[in-house]
Amino acid sequence: MSKNLILISILIILFTSNIFAKETNNWKNDIDPIKKEDWSIAKASHLLERAGFGGTPEEIKFIYNLGHLLAVEHLVNYEKLPTKYLLKFEESNIHDPGLINFPPSRPATTKLAKETGEALGIKVKESGNRKMQPIVNKFFFWLRASRLETQRVAYWWANRMVNSPRPLEEKMTLFWHNHFATNETKVRDYRKLLLQNETFRLHATGNFKELLIAVAKDPAMLHFLDAGQNVKGAPNENFAREIMELFTLGVGNYEEKDIREAARAFTGWNTNDLEFIVNKDKHDTGQKTILSHTGNFTGEEVIDILLDQDAAAIFIVKKIYKEFVNEEVDNIIIDQYAKILKSNNYQLKPLLKTIFLSKDFYSTENIGSHIKSPIELVVSTYKKLGLNKSPGIPDFNQATTAMGQTLFWPPTVAGWAGGSSWITPALLMERGNFARSFLYPDIDFIPKDFYSPDPKIIVMHDAIRNGSDITNATKSSNGGESVMMMAEGNMMADRDEDFNTRYGSYRGWQMAVSKVKPIPRHAAEINFTKMIIDSGAHNTEEAVDYLINRFLTVKINNKKRIMIISFLEENLGTNNIIDAKSYLEDSIRMVVHLIMSQPEYQLG
Amino acid sequence: MNNSVNRRSFLKTATAASLSSLIPMQYALSKDALNGKTLVVLELSGGNDGLNTIIPYADDNYYKHRPNIGIRENKLLKIDDYFGFNPGIVGLESLYKEGNMAIIHGCGYDNPSFSHFTSMAYMHTAAPNSGEEYGWLGRLADHMAPPTHKNFIINIDKTQSLAVRSQKHVPIVFDQPQRFQREGFFVQKSILESVINANNVINNNTAQNFLNEIASSANEASSVISEAWSNYSRRVDYGLTPIDLDKIAALIEADVPARLYYTSFRDNAFDTHVHQPNLHKRLLTYASDAIRGFMNDLDRMGKSQDVVLLVMTEFGRRVPENTSLGTDHGSAGPMFIIGASVKGGHYGEIPDLVNGLDDGDNLKYTTDFRSVYATLIDKWLKVDSKSILRKNFQTFDIFDRTV
Repeated sequence: MSKNLILISILIILFTSNIFAKETNNWKNDIDPIKKEDWSIAKASHLLERAGFGGTPEEIKFIYNLGHLLAVEHLVNYEKLPTKYLLKFEESNIHDPGLINFPPSRPATTKLAKETGEALGIKVKESGNRKMQPIVNKFFFWLRASRLETQRVAYWWANRMVNSPRPLEEKMTLFWHNHFATNETKVRDYRKLLLQNETFRLHATGNFKELLIAVAKDPAMLHFLDAGQNVKGAPNENFAREIMELFTLGVGNYEEKDIREAARAFTGWNTNDLEFIVNKDKHDTGQKTILSHTGNFTGEEVIDILLDQDAAAIFIVKKIYKEFVNEEVDNIIIDQYAKILKSNNYQLKPLLKTIFLSKDFYSTENIGSHIKSPIELVVSTYKKLGLNKSPGIPDFNQATTAMGQTLFWPPTVAGWAGGSSWITPALLMERGNFARSFLYPDIDFIPKDFYSPDPKIIVMHDAIRNGSDITNATKSSNGGESVMMMAEGNMMADRDEDFNTRYGSYRGWQMAVSKVKPIPRHAAEINFTKMIIDSGAHNTEEAVDYLINRFLTVKINNKKRIMIISFLEENLGTNNIIDAKSYLEDSIRMVVHLIMSQPEYQLG
Repeated sequence: MNNSVNRRSFLKTATAASLSSLIPMQYALSKDALNGKTLVVLELSGGNDGLNTIIPYADDNYYKHRPNIGIRENKLLKIDDYFGFNPGIVGLESLYKEGNMAIIHGCGYDNPSFSHFTSMAYMHTAAPNSGEEYGWLGRLADHMAPPTHKNFIINIDKTQSLAVRSQKHVPIVFDQPQRFQREGFFVQKSILESVINANNVINNNTAQNFLNEIASSANEASSVISEAWSNYSRRVDYGLTPIDLDKIAALIEADVPARLYYTSFRDNAFDTHVHQPNLHKRLLTYASDAIRGFMNDLDRMGKSQDVVLLVMTEFGRRVPENTSLGTDHGSAGPMFIIGASVKGGHYGEIPDLVNGLDDGDNLKYTTDFRSVYATLIDKWLKVDSKSILRKNFQTFDIFDRTV
């Protein structure tokens, strides 16, 4: 008995010292490749975390067994890996030709209807009250429907991130979505966002110049940055500014006049629904001077000029380094990587391979230094659990939104700030709550964008259903007399007799949920009992260490670890896992929740 | 008058007493030292078009620059024989007419940046064209209170604004107060908290250290915030979008020891390049209704003398309209200070729409925006503004209602 105890203690000391020992090296800023003998499970795990979204112990073992060269090859040259089993996005039937050239606002829609007798493919009624109501209903229908459908596209993408055999392809697609941030609120057309997403995937690790040209001609981007308004004689600078400031050079590497001149080169670039076109008569063919080059430049030639600047390669490389290696950068290594990118004519693969094989990438300072974005956190959580798709409860989009990130809704054209900006006191708690939400799914879950929780809409719905006229229904949905002062915004709702916007938004909502396909709402199926038993853990200590190892790149300190072990033991009433096998599940779930609530779980 | 003051101070004592058992001693202590004045900043992100917010209708040049999107005189809410408000801002009009809204004209800085992010960073740091790391409110907090005074700055947003970034304080940043708490089983609660507080990590992983520091602040703030929110009920109308001013009202009502609040009308909303008129009017209506509601709410809780609101944006917009019925990024624009302690009216020199333009048709600023900050720092919070802004700036007598 006592002999056994001693043996166990020795084993524990060996095991824990193994987990908690800090291996250090002097590899920071060294871009030379690691050697065969440097390769380890921990490094394979780091590679999979960064070049992908992490994985199960089995997946990490697979990467490890390939050896470092083939592992990087497997992740970067992924084209051979079949993706046929990944389903294409299954569209709801919500779009029709009347919705092409969707006006920028409700007032613009009704103005168009007033002037032409028709808008959104619907005619103004000949006579009667609210002659434009069907048009206004359709306007709000499309706002809601495109929004809901975009959420479905986001779900489809999330499932790809979880299940694709090419994690780097999805990770770079996400990277470009952040770099060329485009927001549904302005684009208002899921078809354009889906198309853009496919463009990002096509060029994910291809050639940056080709990608940039594709983005400059991308309907969602053209719409997002008002390129359609950029015409000869009256250039709109929005796109020209962002291509220099955010896409290629960064502030300080160009002047205001370069923006004005570049805008002229992009004049006439426009879309015909989902197609890129150049309106020749709106294109300014005059001389332009951009970054000391003078000529009759086209948009493509401007892109050549931009990418010819050393600042461009540095700018892109820095962003890639921050995302894939470390938020803190040293210029020494950036310059070396920028040279690699530029000498390869902006082909991304040579750069990515060099990074993933470099000593710097595996240096002590760079392992476990990355604060995961909400998308990375959720996807990597599901991957580490071995799921092959995102559960429907919690809702993927709601979960990431609560933590500060929504696919297809980056906050501004600059994308998400990343790094430490992901973490605030409230967002850190939200991350722990996310873990709980798939371990213990809400049984009163309703998708709020699908079924409205907005009391104004619900009151309206009740009033209309019970036969109230639209004016009175609108009034009651404003909260009647119970508020101290009716704000002006609320009073405006029912001023125009041609239509009622509140009713339009209510009816449009109904029309949208009648047409948009629902997202399946299954809870996550995870068998923690099996996971623990299969791990070979015999006691609570081994079980907790297994879970810590499986889920944490940066380990918690020993004091926290001991607390969690005692918690499990107390909860099971024994430290023997085999004895507790039949009722293990809930206790392990609580432990997983505790581990995922640790600050360290945010690191990868 | 006397009556209301008495009632107000009574309410204050009552609330403070009822809370004293819940919050640590240090909060109550440092409160007195800080003269009880609170500053709330509302950011209109995206670059609000000042010229179509406060319209100089008596100046023909305005209509020359803006033949299509210029707002006609008969549509305006006139406030005097020169300026009219955008028809969407009835709430602000009433605040102005009550004498509680100061308009500071032509706010900007040298060598303006036309980038949202750069210009906003300059506004946030109060240090244009420099690499200042911390926000002006963050530096203010560092100066006003020791880090032991927890929850001194509150930023209502998903992500932290650079304006509140502080060397010593951890600003409390949250979006939804009802969600600002850890969920978990009863048996887990103690360990969830004690695990977090076991903050004896010694290592070189800066990200890990940062996370642990935030975790311990989160624990301390969460109960204060969620309790304040659950005790609050919105009894005045904030319009369609309260821009989180109701959340700030809830915390002020609960006597949370914060003195600096930051919130924003988010996501570049005011970036009106295209089809501006209806959109801009609607955005202004939301902001104006929310501000009016907030002021009514402060009145209701007897706190209106203790709080002022600064309304700012990263830049004004180009003076001439563009060809898309919108406006492009510009430079100077008006800022507003609103509150019952404010002496309303016009401050700063009104920009000249002919000679006051630079080569790019942007307004040359007439008031360094840091003058507005300096006014708030010196005259409202009674802190030496030079120690925050590094230089002396002209200030305005905005809080002297006797003059």
